[in-house]
Amino acid sequence: MANLQCIVVTPETTLRDTPAEFVALTLYDGEVGIAPGHTPLIGRLGAGEMRITQDGKTERYYVESGFVEVLNNTVSVLTSRAVPADRIDEAAAVEQLDTARSRPANTPELMAIRDRSVAQGRAQLRVARRSHS
Amino acid sequence: MAKARVLDRRRKSIRSIRKITRTMELISTARFKRAMDRASAATAYTNRITKVVRDLARAGLEVSHPLLEPRPEIRRAAVLVLSANRGMCGGYNGNVFRLGRRRLEEIRGQIDAVRLEVSGKRGISAFRFRKTTPDASYTQFEDRPTFEEVDVLATRYLEEFETGQIDQLDVVYTKFESLSRQQAVVETLLPLAGLDGAGEEDETGEGIQYDLLPSAESILDDIVPTSFKVKLFKCFLDAAVSEQIARMMAMKAATENADSMIDHLSMAYNRARQGQITADLLEVISGAEALNG
Repeated sequence: MANLQCIVVTPETTLRDTPAEFVALTLYDGEVGIAPGHTPLIGRLGAGEMRITQDGKTERYYVESGFVEVLNNTVSVLTSRAVPADRIDEAAAVEQLDTARSRPANTPELMAIRDRSVAQGRAQLRVARRSHS
Repeated sequence: MAKARVLDRRRKSIRSIRKITRTMELISTARFKRAMDRASAATAYTNRITKVVRDLARAGLEVSHPLLEPRPEIRRAAVLVLSANRGMCGGYNGNVFRLGRRRLEEIRGQIDAVRLEVSGKRGISAFRFRKTTPDASYTQFEDRPTFEEVDVLATRYLEEFETGQIDQLDVVYTKFESLSRQQAVVETLLPLAGLDGAGEEDETGEGIQYDLLPSAESILDDIVPTSFKVKLFKCFLDAAVSEQIARMMAMKAATENADSMIDHLSMAYNRARQGQITADLLEVISGAEALNG
């Protein structure tokens, strides 16, 4: 069976352009798994984990918002930030979470901004802690 | 011997200046290459975003978003000028400054509430010299602006635009067109003029049915702010690349000038020394003649 080609692009660099057997991504409202032969898809990413499986090994990244496009067995991940799971700065994530929690949220816009920041901080911690265990 | 020694001293000082300008030229060449690599990486990202927008449009999605709509009346505006932290780069800073000032005055003629933001020490001091203090200034953007840093700015602009604190954002920067051509330009980034790829028709005629998760609207909600951020980031990258090119050119010219000056001085020095020797010889000979006679 044909393999997937997984391309991860951030504005600063093309992080990887490698074959993969399976890719799992956190979308805006849940996780999606992509195996070869997946139907064409455009998805909005949320803060969370990206897993790329190749040759029985799984690489894990923390991805923060962006898009994924699947077409002809090519998975293009466009994101503003992608960090390997073992290189997440846990202290910074805790700090982000704390400052986000103490932000004022007295209008709908500010509340949305706060929620997004809190979700990002939590997701980072979740991904970081999973790689320890 | 006095004149020859003065010439020699000048020649030495010009030699050391030449060494400095030559080194600066080499440094900015290296920095330019690095900046250029980053700019092309950003282009790869932009192209893919464009492709997603085109695919969305192909899937029959109407592209409309608050960020794309011009405000009927512009009451508050912001102008962001991107200059360099350092000089020694020819007309680079001057061009951006002049254009920024003209734009600022143009807008100030129409509305009162204009905020001026300047990045780069050179631009800040140039505006101060003209008795215009920038409302916000940034000096943290060197030759390698990171997306994270620009993201902070971009997010703030988006928030301000959404909450109505600004109705328009102009960015004045040096656009990189080609190696031999960089031009200071004014670009209106907010409201966005349109999404690249949105109006293009499908040439192949066969539309691909995409699964849109969670929904087309939700994706569009995110893709419009993202493309604004990337555009702003591109402005910073362009400015960084152009700065290095400008410095490269300026330092190359300076080195060449130093070279020709050294040639001139060498010639003058040799002539002066020869003249000195001739005069000394004449003195010795005439002294001997006087003794003999």
